[in-house]
Amino acid sequence: MTAGDILLSVEDLVVRFRTHEGTIHAVNGVSFQLEEGERLGLVGESGCGKSVTNLAMIRLLPQPAGRIEGGHVMFDSQDLTTLREDELRSIRGRDIAMIFQDPMTSLNPVLTVEEQMVETIMAHREISRDKARLRAIELLKMVGIPQPETRLDNFPHQFSGGMRQRVMIAMALALEPKLMIADEPTTALDVTIQAQVLELLRGLTEQSGSAMILITHDLGVVAGMTNRINVMYAGYIVETATTLDLFATPSHPYTIGLLHSIPRVDAVVGEPLIPIEGRPPDMRRAPTFCPFAARCRWRLEVCWQENPPLRPIVDGTRVVMTGTGATHQIACFNPPTEEEAVAGKPLRPGFVSAPPPAGMIDEVGAGRVGSTADLEGLVGEIQAEEGPLSLAPSAGGLPIPPEPEHHGEPGIFHDD
Amino acid sequence: MLRFIVRRLLGVIPVLFGLSIILFAFVHLLPGDPATAILGQHATPERVAAMREYLGLDDPLWQQYLNYLGNVLRGDLGSSIINNQPVLREFLIRFPATIELTVAAMIFAAGIGIPLGRYAARHAQGWSDGAVTIISLLGISIPVFVLGLTLQYIFAVQLDLLPASGRVDPRAGLEIRSNFVLIDSLLMGRPDLFMDGLSHLILPAIALGSIPLAIITRITRASVLDVNNEDYVRTARAKGLDERRISSRHIMRNAWLPVVTVLGLQVGGLLAGAVITETVFGWGGVGRYVVDGIFNRDYFVIQNTILIFALVFLVVNLLVDILYAVLNPRIRYA
Amino acid sequence: MAAPAIPVAQGVDRRASRGLWGDAARRLLRNKPAILGLCFIALFVVAAVFAPILAPYGPLEGGLAQRLDPPSPAHVMGTDSQGRDEYSRVLYGAQVSLLAGVASVVMGVAIGGTIGALAGGVGGKLDSVLMRFVDVLLAVPGILLAIGIVAFLGRGLPQIMFAVAVVNVPIFARILRGSLLSLRESDYITAARSLGASGTRILLRHLLPNSLSPLIVAATLALATAIIDVAGLGFLGLGPPDPRTPEWGTMLTDSTKFIRQAPWLLLFPGAAIVVSAVGFNLLGDGLRESLDPRMRR
Repeated sequence: MTAGDILLSVEDLVVRFRTHEGTIHAVNGVSFQLEEGERLGLVGESGCGKSVTNLAMIRLLPQPAGRIEGGHVMFDSQDLTTLREDELRSIRGRDIAMIFQDPMTSLNPVLTVEEQMVETIMAHREISRDKARLRAIELLKMVGIPQPETRLDNFPHQFSGGMRQRVMIAMALALEPKLMIADEPTTALDVTIQAQVLELLRGLTEQSGSAMILITHDLGVVAGMTNRINVMYAGYIVETATTLDLFATPSHPYTIGLLHSIPRVDAVVGEPLIPIEGRPPDMRRAPTFCPFAARCRWRLEVCWQENPPLRPIVDGTRVVMTGTGATHQIACFNPPTEEEAVAGKPLRPGFVSAPPPAGMIDEVGAGRVGSTADLEGLVGEIQAEEGPLSLAPSAGGLPIPPEPEHHGEPGIFHDD
Repeated sequence: MLRFIVRRLLGVIPVLFGLSIILFAFVHLLPGDPATAILGQHATPERVAAMREYLGLDDPLWQQYLNYLGNVLRGDLGSSIINNQPVLREFLIRFPATIELTVAAMIFAAGIGIPLGRYAARHAQGWSDGAVTIISLLGISIPVFVLGLTLQYIFAVQLDLLPASGRVDPRAGLEIRSNFVLIDSLLMGRPDLFMDGLSHLILPAIALGSIPLAIITRITRASVLDVNNEDYVRTARAKGLDERRISSRHIMRNAWLPVVTVLGLQVGGLLAGAVITETVFGWGGVGRYVVDGIFNRDYFVIQNTILIFALVFLVVNLLVDILYAVLNPRIRYA
Repeated sequence: MAAPAIPVAQGVDRRASRGLWGDAARRLLRNKPAILGLCFIALFVVAAVFAPILAPYGPLEGGLAQRLDPPSPAHVMGTDSQGRDEYSRVLYGAQVSLLAGVASVVMGVAIGGTIGALAGGVGGKLDSVLMRFVDVLLAVPGILLAIGIVAFLGRGLPQIMFAVAVVNVPIFARILRGSLLSLRESDYITAARSLGASGTRILLRHLLPNSLSPLIVAATLALATAIIDVAGLGFLGLGPPDPRTPEWGTMLTDSTKFIRQAPWLLLFPGAAIVVSAVGFNLLGDGLRESLDPRMRR
């Protein structure tokens, strides 16, 4: 395992979801590479396709709606998109490990931690139960869980949120995978715990030499954790650069918008936050023009007509995909200048962002339905057709509602 | 765990008390003198006087209630007005018949319902799933007596394949020991009687079990589908476990939980449905006993068999709750 | 759709959905099984309401000369043991079933709903006491409770209606209590209040729509079981004291004696019960799916 070898190469990945409501174009031709030991951040808002990309890579998309409809995922010189199911299964967990956002729901509530860890180990190695148990103890120690021998017999709900996530990390690292994918690992955790868990993640992956893909919507998280960052929007990569470059010279209007909408401790008091106006686009449409056009302050007419490809910010530079010398690329017809990036808005005198062409009015502010953030609901609807069928027990055919739990209702503030 | 059991037990007691109070109050809410109300207009004065004394009608109400309670706890559940047989004894004689029927119906319902529900979940959206849904729908829409009569007509009257009523051929000479036909026949060393008993059991068990079958199928299907979508199943897949393991350890272990709850409640439905089934099939169990009691306005029979039924139901529910706690660690340590 | 005026960011979609009821109605109409259910129910209601017009004979008309005749052009469903036209009796029986079913569910909702609303709305000791009472009702399983009540009150149609209503009480009590409890504590009620929405407004625009949906679904499904339970009690002989009254359950009791010679006496009333029950079950399921407040619609 020498650094510099390409471990993962995603080429033109296209993922679509076929639902009752139409086809959702979740990922639209994403390409990137990863070196061994490299740490890559995938950043974007909910629904931009970052999680879908990763699920697609190991073919864990919700069935039957999710489908890979184009592209290749080359891992260790094998194409994961065409691999047989049993071969893929041996890669999952062993070579590629994934940890998910909510450790409470991602761990089986009725099995002990020991059972869940041991089964992972024994699924991929010829090893006795006792040895597997010892390894599990070792792993729990590694992630900093006190008294691992007794804790092994506990159930997930007996751990705190941060501890649970450590257990998940331990499980993921059990077989020393070459690639670790962390999907919003700290979003569900308290802010104070977040830092600890991230530190742990970084330390362990550095130690073992695993490559890592860190998915998040929080730019602050990737800042300290990654070598390179891909910024995604509406199923595309709109900007890619080394972490240093991205924060030093953010170039895509979306990235700039993201950076400016984070309230900063050192901001001038009274200076208004600059939000990104508009809403995510309707993912039910096959994209034919720049997906960010509706919300972009730098847009030109051409932005409404064509989809900008990913290109180096300095024309003609040779493209280097990975490593510390990776080329800074963006997908934009009218990139902001450095001063504009600092200001957060266009500074060219007399510049007015091109209005949408007639007939496209509903693009502006449209798209309540169909972003991938809706997918959970829609896909859940497909699989469990009875959907919210009350699982309340019945007497003589009529469901008796159980003693009610106290659910939070979707608040007014979520009223879209 | 023990604390959980104790807590549940303690919860049952007030309910039983409340029920006993209501049952006790029945006779006092009837117009007129309770003793006459029970015995009817034509009772002799001696009987009325004896009844008054038994009920302690001259005592204050609360003392009457305590008398009642004391009687119940001692096993004195009154006697039939008609034939003077003690209620408790008559109940216990007939109870095995109802148990046999209920157990058979539950085996039918769960034995088919659970696998069918899993199958439907695996083939969700397919046409077999649609067929299963239709069967479920019919199951809860066809009343037990309609189904029972229809089965009788088809299999007994027309096809003459199965007996229409009764528990066993009366001419075959079964010795009654436990009053479980299936057990007694084996005790006698008569496998032919065993088969005869079985053949009598089939139609009523199907009729009685049809509703639970429908519900269990539905709940199992929904539960498996729900669990299949859960994050921890996704994690299990991401760990590279094989599908069989995922299905049994991860999916079913969690999908069982709502099913177990439903099973417990269905026992209640079965007990209640047994009343009708026993009437249709001439089955000599406690259901018939209660119905006859109602026709004869046999007060103590009605009052106390309801009490016993409730007790049985509550005990079964308690057992189901314990089973649920065993399966679901989150409840255990709550 | 938010009640108070929240400053709306530029570009918010104004092409809002037509509200919970509009959406629900649209989804329901697309649900084919539910439409089928509605058709069955329509059949049932039409039979009940227009029985006097549709029935070729009166429900009590008949002579022993025509007893136990198989279906024929004169009597499309045959005749019963008293020579009465079965078809007419089935139609008139629909009246009884509809009335009894609706009345018992309405009563159940009224009584159960009040209990539940009090328990959930007031809370505290009242809540515990009321719910214990509900537990007692639940301790006696289904039909048995109804039988017990009828045994106490005596046989007859009003008594059956009351008995079936009481069996339904726990269900509606739990629903109302649950709705009120969760709403009382929910964030968005607090939010609405903090934005100045008045109590009435909260009640009308927030509480009611949320508690109404599970109630409607449960009531529809309860109608299905009510029809079956009423017929069941009639079958056991606890129905209208006048044996000539056309009630599906009692008609089936009569059929048991003549099952060999006259199977049509089982088939038609039985089918009537099943069709009505299927109708309400299908509609109830359809309502449940369409009224479910999806996260973003």
